[in-house]
Amino acid sequence: MLLGAGIPLLGACGAKESGTGAKRDSIADGLQPEKGPLRIINYADYVYADVVADFEKKYGVKVEITTIDTDSEAVAKLASGAVKVDLHHSMNNTTIGNLILGGLLQPLNKTYLANFSNVLPAFSDPWYDPGAVYSVPYTFFGTGIGFRADRLDPALVDQQGWDAIWEATEFKGQVSVLDDEREALAMAMLRRGVTDINTTDTAVVDLALADLVELIDLVNVKVNIEAYKDIPEGTTKVAQTWSADLIAGAAGYLPEGETSDVLGFWHPPSAEYIVTNDSMGVLADAENPVLAHLYLDFLLDNQVSEKNFSWNGYLPALTKLDADYVIAQGYVPENLRNCVPTNDDIAKGLKYRPLGPEGQALYEEAWSKFTAGG
Amino acid sequence: MTTAVADRARRTRAWAGLAMPGVGWLIAFFVVPVYAVLAVAFGQIDPILRTPQPAWSPVDWDFAAMGKVLDRVFGGDLGRVFIRTFSFVALALIGCILIGYPVAYFVARRAQRSRGLLLAALVLPFWISYLMRMLAWTNLLQVDGYVNRVLGWLHLMDTPRNWLDGDWPTVVIGLVYGYVPFFILPLYSALERIDGRLIEAGRDLGASAFSTFMRITLPLSVPGLMAASVITILPMCGDYYTNTYLTSGSPRTEMVGNQIEFYLRGSSQPQTGASLVLLLMALLFVLMVYYLVTTIRQQKAAER
Repeated sequence: MLLGAGIPLLGACGAKESGTGAKRDSIADGLQPEKGPLRIINYADYVYADVVADFEKKYGVKVEITTIDTDSEAVAKLASGAVKVDLHHSMNNTTIGNLILGGLLQPLNKTYLANFSNVLPAFSDPWYDPGAVYSVPYTFFGTGIGFRADRLDPALVDQQGWDAIWEATEFKGQVSVLDDEREALAMAMLRRGVTDINTTDTAVVDLALADLVELIDLVNVKVNIEAYKDIPEGTTKVAQTWSADLIAGAAGYLPEGETSDVLGFWHPPSAEYIVTNDSMGVLADAENPVLAHLYLDFLLDNQVSEKNFSWNGYLPALTKLDADYVIAQGYVPENLRNCVPTNDDIAKGLKYRPLGPEGQALYEEAWSKFTAGG
Repeated sequence: MTTAVADRARRTRAWAGLAMPGVGWLIAFFVVPVYAVLAVAFGQIDPILRTPQPAWSPVDWDFAAMGKVLDRVFGGDLGRVFIRTFSFVALALIGCILIGYPVAYFVARRAQRSRGLLLAALVLPFWISYLMRMLAWTNLLQVDGYVNRVLGWLHLMDTPRNWLDGDWPTVVIGLVYGYVPFFILPLYSALERIDGRLIEAGRDLGASAFSTFMRITLPLSVPGLMAASVITILPMCGDYYTNTYLTSGSPRTEMVGNQIEFYLRGSSQPQTGASLVLLLMALLFVLMVYYLVTTIRQQKAAER
């Protein structure tokens, strides 16, 4: 472990200070695609291998994917130069600003992105990248409560809201919150009616931390991102989770003989609903920038996106794939209709914004204290 | 005469030369990474991307992050994580001794024709990835899993227990299971080397089997026990996946390794993670020094 811990650190050996500023030039119009291989950095199993194979076939190139476990791991690898890729597949939208400022992304040339017109209006000029200059959305999802509808009355969860997590004392050891400091602390804040989820007020963060710590004894809370399988399999009964997890869970993790009726999802009203997304972008020093643009456009194609969604359960941010469509196609069961955030949810909902170094450190320390046991 | 001395010196140099690959390996994969951890722990952070800016020259070292970590460990919230980690490791070590010693003793001193087969069986777990073995346990320990079924069948438990609900016994069981092969093998080789004539002499002089074991076998196996303990304690202290898999991230079972992982891979403060690595290394170094001093003393005593 100790030696292992040194290995990612070695990636920092060549680190240079960022701050060269945003790269201003995008690629010229009408260029021929490079010969590849197209190198991508992404979470494991977050894009359908068949979709990638389709792209390889269409353009006669190879695609190589470097996998990451966390958003900051990707930033560290890209910033240090330890990994050289053409395309970041899944940027967290609180990180995009820093990647732009750090000069790691290049502005996109929209003439290569004919399918950009398919994107949901709320994401065509997003808050984290005005004008979508550097990024296109990949998937989007909201944060709510996933639960076993056969063990917990949906009407009760609706009435309790976020309190349902704190009230789940009869399911000790079968309750979880997201393994993400922003998400879990924001949940605790929203429960107390605090809607400024980007606050750096120490008192507010400390109170949210105290509320989370309370969950350790109350419900023997777990901290993970496994609800997509743990709720369908029944080992978790109530969880703070992403809407997409229920869709993926219904599609692939229900035990034989069970239907999606056993699953339930609750989310706050639009004005308090956190809808977030992952985005794709092209690296400033990409060796295959044209090919990378073509890949973005490929993933924004309605049919390709639908195929990808049919496998990973994470909704693409495209107008065509709205709730009615994905339910009619059988991808999402009717009882999980509320797992598809509406354009209204995205437009009116709460947004995570970067906290700044001190604010981020404040949240991380609170998180470290919570996971350490309070 | 002079030629003989020169020859001997040449031979010594030639033998020392054989150590060079090992020394090179140590420098490349131990000294350099440890220095990199030092440089990150005492370095700075990129103001925008929050990635480490290692301070390679000691002149530039900044001890602020380490100071904060020390405050949090000694008298702060991280102290309990260290205490919890060392408690888990101590309990798991006891488990390893209770299970591993009889097994190693049997294979080394009692097994005759079956020894080869048993040794192969002991090595067998290494053929399967540690993570896979832990994942297998998550199935065995489910409420309707085989562990509860067997315990129910033996009437040792009336109602099925939720082993995965985030309590410490599961983590200790997991650590024992994961590391006991590492414990048995060095202990086996120590027990196997014990001169059988010493045991026979004890028996001939009228000592009972128990007394012979307590007065001859056990004392002679102490160096093996020490080595086996060190070999298992060191990786167990840095373990972060056993509890992650077996308790699905319960804050009640978090170990130091989890905090290191969070700060190094999931935070904007890698220098805090690197400081935790150094602190854990320093604490384990004390253990290593104790082991080395004891071993040297025993060797000297044996030579006398």
